Amino acid sequence: MKKYFLFYLLFCAGFAEAQQLNVGIRLQKTHQMYWENGVSAQYSFANFKPDRLFVGFDFVTSRLGTAFNSNALKQGSYIFSGSWHFFKKRQVHLVGRLNAGYLNTDLEEDVFAELPSSAVLLAPELGLNYSPKNLPFSFNTGIGFYVNTQEESKTPGTFQPLYYHMTLYYKLFENRK
Amino acid sequence: MKTLLKNILIAGPLFLTASLFFACSDAPEITDSLLDGDVLFDPSLYAPEEYLVSAKFPNPSADDLDKHILIASHGYSASTFEWQEFVDWSADADYRVSSLLLDGHGRTYGDFKASKWEDWRAAIIREFELLERLGYTKISFVGSSTSGALLLELMETGYFDKHVKPKNIFFVDPIVVPTAKLQTIVDIVGPMLVYLEADQPAEEDKYWYRFRPYQTINELNEVIQKVRKGLEKGIVAPTGTFIKSFHSKFDPTASTTSTVLIYKGLRLSDGNKIEVQIMDSEIHVFTRLSLRPSVSPLERSNQQNVFAQMAAKLN
Repeated sequence: MKKYFLFYLLFCAGFAEAQQLNVGIRLQKTHQMYWENGVSAQYSFANFKPDRLFVGFDFVTSRLGTAFNSNALKQGSYIFSGSWHFFKKRQVHLVGRLNAGYLNTDLEEDVFAELPSSAVLLAPELGLNYSPKNLPFSFNTGIGFYVNTQEESKTPGTFQPLYYHMTLYYKLFENRK
Repeated sequence: MKTLLKNILIAGPLFLTASLFFACSDAPEITDSLLDGDVLFDPSLYAPEEYLVSAKFPNPSADDLDKHILIASHGYSASTFEWQEFVDWSADADYRVSSLLLDGHGRTYGDFKASKWEDWRAAIIREFELLERLGYTKISFVGSSTSGALLLELMETGYFDKHVKPKNIFFVDPIVVPTAKLQTIVDIVGPMLVYLEADQPAEEDKYWYRFRPYQTINELNEVIQKVRKGLEKGIVAPTGTFIKSFHSKFDPTASTTSTVLIYKGLRLSDGNKIEVQIMDSEIHVFTRLSLRPSVSPLERSNQQNVFAQMAAKLN
């Protein structure tokens, strides 16, 4: 299901006129739990709320964080987002964002096959975005909270609610009118 | 429109913070019928010789010293009651059970609030070293919930390197990561909440603290984080110690992921993996069935299964 959604997103992105397309590296820490790092992409439409409304996709994994070369659980999160940038004429934007996605944890052994290993992700988030005027980079940071959508004992224990992230974007494309 | 938005963005979080702050009282209302009060205490404080092998046999004979001793240790906010069923079940056994009370527990709300996780651990070390000093060589442990984390912490720090090596260490629903998602943010919201009230039947109020000061939840989080990080690096069990972890499939308190992390991060001294058994259960510390509102045949069977497995290793 998540793959179809991603294809749909890319399909739309290919045909819609882009105002801005950013790709970057995301570093994420869950409070009292793992570092999970990965990639991020953000897209803004030229003809609909340009530079205000962004849709995005992020993938973060503990394989590139705490689980790298350790016994921590290997897990990955696929996150789709919609974000709204306030004060867009300033260099620093306040960002409100809603994330939805899926967490999958690799429990590795057959003996744990029946244990909870995945969770549905839904998280409102508040953050800041800094875009220097003459540089192709932007820096985004945010703090979010995963809302409980399932019975707590039916999700992995490594899925904890409070997280913070930093993302460094490179502006692949920016339509300046 | 912009002004309105700004006002909402600034006033909203301030209002929320103030509401939480004023919504909480400084201390819970503790009555004499609660373990939290200053009337009811854990019975092991009055008669330690009925609970601790070191107190019951201060001058053990050669026959006594030949017995296998199981040190049974309870979880956060609990008391010796948690292992009483196993003590009763083992009444005619060849081994002996030393059922200890973690420091800071079984006393008053104030004692609990002031206690650190190192205090909780101190009771385990004290009984173990007393038995060791008396000459016992066959010593095993069973730790439920938080005591699982405390025993892991002892292994992580190499405590047993200079002591008698335990024959067996059993974990029952050990906690390394919590099930309750809000537990990990108590360090942020704790000062506003002051304490959490357990949703437990009134009959359990005599044996478990009903009110859990946020400071003690922070202590619990501190020790389980320490253990989790230790497991990530890898912990090696004492030489020759057999280890098995039993865990409820859907534990509402100590996430079953805890046992996955222990399995991945803890190795026996010969390099082999520890044993694990996932129980078809949804209760925390499934070996304690006394005072449960209802007990199914499956839950009884789970309990007896584990009691028998432990006993087989102690004979």
